[in-house]
Amino acid sequence: MTMVALQTHALSKIFTVKQKRAGLTGSIRSLIKPQWEEKIAVKGIDLTVQRGEMVAFLGPNGAGKSTTIKMLTGILHPSSGEAQVLGLTPWRERAKLAYRIGAVFGQKSQLWYHLPPIDTFDLISRIYELDRSEYAARRNDLIERFELGPYLNIPVRKLSLGERMRCEIAVSFLHRPQLLFLDEPTIGLDVVVKQRIRELIREVNKEEGTTVFLTSHDAGDVEELCSRAVVIHHGGILLDAPVDRLKREVLSRKIISLTLASGFDPTMLPSQVGTEVLKVEGRRVKIAVDLQQTDIEAVLGSLIGRFRLEDVTVEDPPMEEIITHIYGSGGG
Amino acid sequence: MNAMNAMNAMKLMKAAAVARITWRQQLAYKTDFLMRSSFLLLILFVFVQLWGAAYQGDTTRVINGYTLKQIIWYLVFTEAITMAVPALCGLIENEVKSGDIAIRLIRPFSYVGYHYSSYLAEAIFRFFIHLAIGSIIAWTFAGPPSFGVGWAGLFALTLGAITIAFLLNMIVALCAFWVEETRGMEFVLHKLQFTVGGMLLPLDLMPEWLQRICAWMPFQAMLYFPARTAVNYGEASLLQQFGIQAAWIVVLAAAVMFMYRRGVAKLHVNGG
Repeated sequence: MTMVALQTHALSKIFTVKQKRAGLTGSIRSLIKPQWEEKIAVKGIDLTVQRGEMVAFLGPNGAGKSTTIKMLTGILHPSSGEAQVLGLTPWRERAKLAYRIGAVFGQKSQLWYHLPPIDTFDLISRIYELDRSEYAARRNDLIERFELGPYLNIPVRKLSLGERMRCEIAVSFLHRPQLLFLDEPTIGLDVVVKQRIRELIREVNKEEGTTVFLTSHDAGDVEELCSRAVVIHHGGILLDAPVDRLKREVLSRKIISLTLASGFDPTMLPSQVGTEVLKVEGRRVKIAVDLQQTDIEAVLGSLIGRFRLEDVTVEDPPMEEIITHIYGSGGG
Repeated sequence: MNAMNAMNAMKLMKAAAVARITWRQQLAYKTDFLMRSSFLLLILFVFVQLWGAAYQGDTTRVINGYTLKQIIWYLVFTEAITMAVPALCGLIENEVKSGDIAIRLIRPFSYVGYHYSSYLAEAIFRFFIHLAIGSIIAWTFAGPPSFGVGWAGLFALTLGAITIAFLLNMIVALCAFWVEETRGMEFVLHKLQFTVGGMLLPLDLMPEWLQRICAWMPFQAMLYFPARTAVNYGEASLLQQFGIQAAWIVVLAAAVMFMYRRGVAKLHVNGG
């Protein structure tokens, strides 16, 4: 058995989009003579992922992440190029491939909205032709790990987003996929739930050797789950590097957001190396910290010493900023 | 051969699982059901009055082979089938628009097959409920349904009828792969069913030239055949009607598969 989970060569997707002109006369003109425009969603992606790897597939909105995933799962046919996923061509052997891969689309639910999650589990077990006793064992194991017991018999519409996402991911593990595509699995979740979901994904990857192909806006997902990051922008690969390197070079900035008890006086700010005031808005202040030059604790320490704080959060910079940074540094 | 049987058995199990979850989901929509059912009562009541006037209340009079009682029961059967058919076009159009089609396409199950399983489960469920409700009105105003073997004819032809309805609706629904709106086409399809399909009026009551046109269209096989056979069993050969249904199913299924293959290759999945 080959060790390659997926491989693409010059994979491209071009959509033709009908152009709508503005206004009513524009609409009428479009009716008589429609204008088509080609939109390149993915252009010439070359990518190889080994079995057991956890790869982050990053990029801003509209970069072509989802389109790539949809081609790799066989949902979309590419305009040109090739792909082999677990040795199969996804769009030609979609159903055959489907038994061996799983996918979670964070913004689309695969659970039946008005029914409890257990019904979806049962349906999926039939659709993937799982052996009954094996299914029961697998389901019980997932229920225990994902701590789904209390929600199993509650209609999905009554679950919170975090509870629902745990069910979504658990369901996608049911048929033991060799390769799992996770498209924004932690979108909209709070920090604790995000953390829990990451742990679970890591656990299954480790124990079952599941290859994970993940897209996310959240740098935290990438840092904590993946060993390799592929960054795409405008449909092409901008950077393909170990996450360690990405962390050192790009994710080395953290953003501290403060809400002060009183107004901000910039002269009171410590003139510390590696810090930069990004924004001041009344009592709200955003400070960027370069971790290569200083560390978070030192900066926080001196801030607490000088100001009376109402609220502090430390975050990763947004994906857009990371992309700009990679661009600025010449694409690695 | 055995492997083939095993594969077909697996497919049937999948279809059954989809049917089960569809029924469970249906039971979650109680209010919707009550609304539809009371609407059916209203429609049938109006038609009972209308036909009562047309026959001048004469229960022995026969118009083009139908007594008042037969006409009213005919309506109950066509309404039960019409109202059993789920709104497939809206469903598929939504799946394409919202991109939820992605969730269906990552499964090892044919897209059309999935929808047929779900459709059939819902249609059969709704057919029997609407039939029961319609029967209350017809029984009260027109007398008991003493059609004997006609009932067997009704049930036998209804499966083919709702399958043809599925295929016709699917053809319109699959247009959603190319165009943004399918509601206009769906509207036309439904009105064709109402008229040349024989929902409101048995085709025998229509002018000769129109009947000849209807004979060449699939719509008669989905409403007129089962309802007419129920109230007037033996007037037309059951075997011939099965044959016509089967022929339409083959032709329409080929059209559906052709459209699906073309459509899915150029699909643009929105969102996410």
